[in-house]
Amino acid sequence: MTQPLRRPLLHKPEVLIVEDDPQIRIFLKAMLTSDGCRIHEAVDGCDGLAQATARNPNLILLDLGLPDKDGIGLIREIRKWSQMPILVISARTGERDKIEALDAGADDYVTKPFVPGEVSARIRSIFRRTSTLKLTDENGVVSFGNIEVRLSTRRVFVRGHEIHLTPNEYKLLEVLLRYAENVVTHRQLLKEVWGPEHTEESQYLRVFMRQLRIKLETDPAHPRHFITEPGIGYRLLMDRDEIR
Amino acid sequence: MKSLQIQARDPAPLLPWLWEFAAAIAIVGLCAIVAVGLQPYLPEANLIMIFLVGVAVIAARFRRQVAIFASFASVLSFDFFCVKPYLSFWISGVEYLITLVVMFAVALLISTMTSRIRREAASAADRELRAQTESMRTSLLSAISHDLRTPLASIGGAAATLRSHWDRLDEPTRVDLLHSISGETERVNRLLHNLLEAARLQDGVRLRKDWFPLEEVVGAALHRLEPQLYGRTISTDVPTSLPMVAMDDVLMEQVMINLLENAVKYTPASTPVEIVANRRGQMVEVEVRDHGPGFGIANRERVFDNFFRGQTDNVRGAGLGLAICRAIIDAHGGTIIAEDRPGGGALVRFTLPITEPPGQTGLAEAFR
Repeated sequence: MTQPLRRPLLHKPEVLIVEDDPQIRIFLKAMLTSDGCRIHEAVDGCDGLAQATARNPNLILLDLGLPDKDGIGLIREIRKWSQMPILVISARTGERDKIEALDAGADDYVTKPFVPGEVSARIRSIFRRTSTLKLTDENGVVSFGNIEVRLSTRRVFVRGHEIHLTPNEYKLLEVLLRYAENVVTHRQLLKEVWGPEHTEESQYLRVFMRQLRIKLETDPAHPRHFITEPGIGYRLLMDRDEIR
Repeated sequence: MKSLQIQARDPAPLLPWLWEFAAAIAIVGLCAIVAVGLQPYLPEANLIMIFLVGVAVIAARFRRQVAIFASFASVLSFDFFCVKPYLSFWISGVEYLITLVVMFAVALLISTMTSRIRREAASAADRELRAQTESMRTSLLSAISHDLRTPLASIGGAAATLRSHWDRLDEPTRVDLLHSISGETERVNRLLHNLLEAARLQDGVRLRKDWFPLEEVVGAALHRLEPQLYGRTISTDVPTSLPMVAMDDVLMEQVMINLLENAVKYTPASTPVEIVANRRGQMVEVEVRDHGPGFGIANRERVFDNFFRGQTDNVRGAGLGLAICRAIIDAHGGTIIAEDRPGGGALVRFTLPITEPPGQTGLAEAFR
């Protein structure tokens, strides 16, 4: 899965920026325009909702700290009628906001102040997941780093050697693959792997994640693929160069 | 300047009045019982001493009025229980009157002096706290004014140069200036983050603990730091056989980030950094080792103080990183120390207590 570092985004995708700070808007607009996006700007939540409805953009870039409306409320309103990708902009220390936004239906987040290249990388991985672009090759095989997952037969190989995963370990890997490159909250993972009645038991999730890392990573303390977002969830990175 | 710590209040402005009186009566009563018990064996003068000890204890713990009351009560009890005729307030001679008056005077003196000493100790502590706050404020202001102004000056200068001289600057110079703008901005941002974090921890650390494998927190820190590591070799030896540890993952990630940032900042770019974790009885022990100049014996304790910075000229920061680490580790019930390694290089070692997660293995099996 090697791709050029700055693979162009979808064909001229429309991105709606909902952000009250004009300086941040200038910067985001310049950056995304140069990445090939068409930009619409909204300065507050009401304007954002109106434009999201009227324009139906390919992606919304939403600042959580808006003057008039709670950003999380806005996500919920949009999710009532649309699955359009939402990328949230959040402050560095706002773990709780991030989790709430993700659980309300946001696709991923970027943290203010931005790490260079992070915003485009996140947008790219959201588009990759939500577009028809497939992770798998024609035989239903996904590979990243030394790891190869054969989805049709549910078998996993590391450097060509088959690794035995328990059913739940495999399920966890599968969910992470489905959201590849995107963060998945503890709650989402627990719900998808163990069912909606187990969404609070994140301790077991960590036990299984630990097992996955021990089995699949070269150095579990310095993982290349199974990345922890402390306080929030996990992210499966396929190709590290893509994010940088 | 002391390091960050969770402020513990004085053991309460003492008990309410009523309780103090009750406690004072109880103590005097106790003295009376002891005195009566020892009466056959000791002369009266020594029995007085027992009551005086009681008065001293009361004066050391309670407010002055209660101590005066206790002095009075002691004299009366002594008279009642230990002076003939027993069990009566009558006294048989003038010499006993003198004894009682002297005893009362001594008791009063003890209680007055004890409360004065206590007041002075309290006000001295108060003065020291004020002085500390004052010096903290001064350091804070100088940190902010210097460490914030310098990068802002270069950001402003670089941006203004780019705007006014755009055409006259060659491409590499423009790129340099742009790099300096983004680099310095990151510096301001880190400084502010550390200042805010330190201020937040000073108010008391609120932990949101859960059980985590240690390697998860180490891995998260390494991942977050990667853009700043510029290919630096960081080796990890964190056995996955270590038990899960109860910790606040967000704060512990901060500890690892601060330690690694320091190790990278203060050592030559070609030298490796090592993270080694082990179990030591009921603790896990984590060491971050580097191959730089070390802390120097004189600094080993001071590095954990607020605003303390290493000697290297080209390193800049607020000097809060290790202070923040100590506050977080202390709150977890662990310890953190800084050392120089025998072969050269610095080492920071912290420990975290191991507690058994409730029914971890059983339920995890059930989940499988």
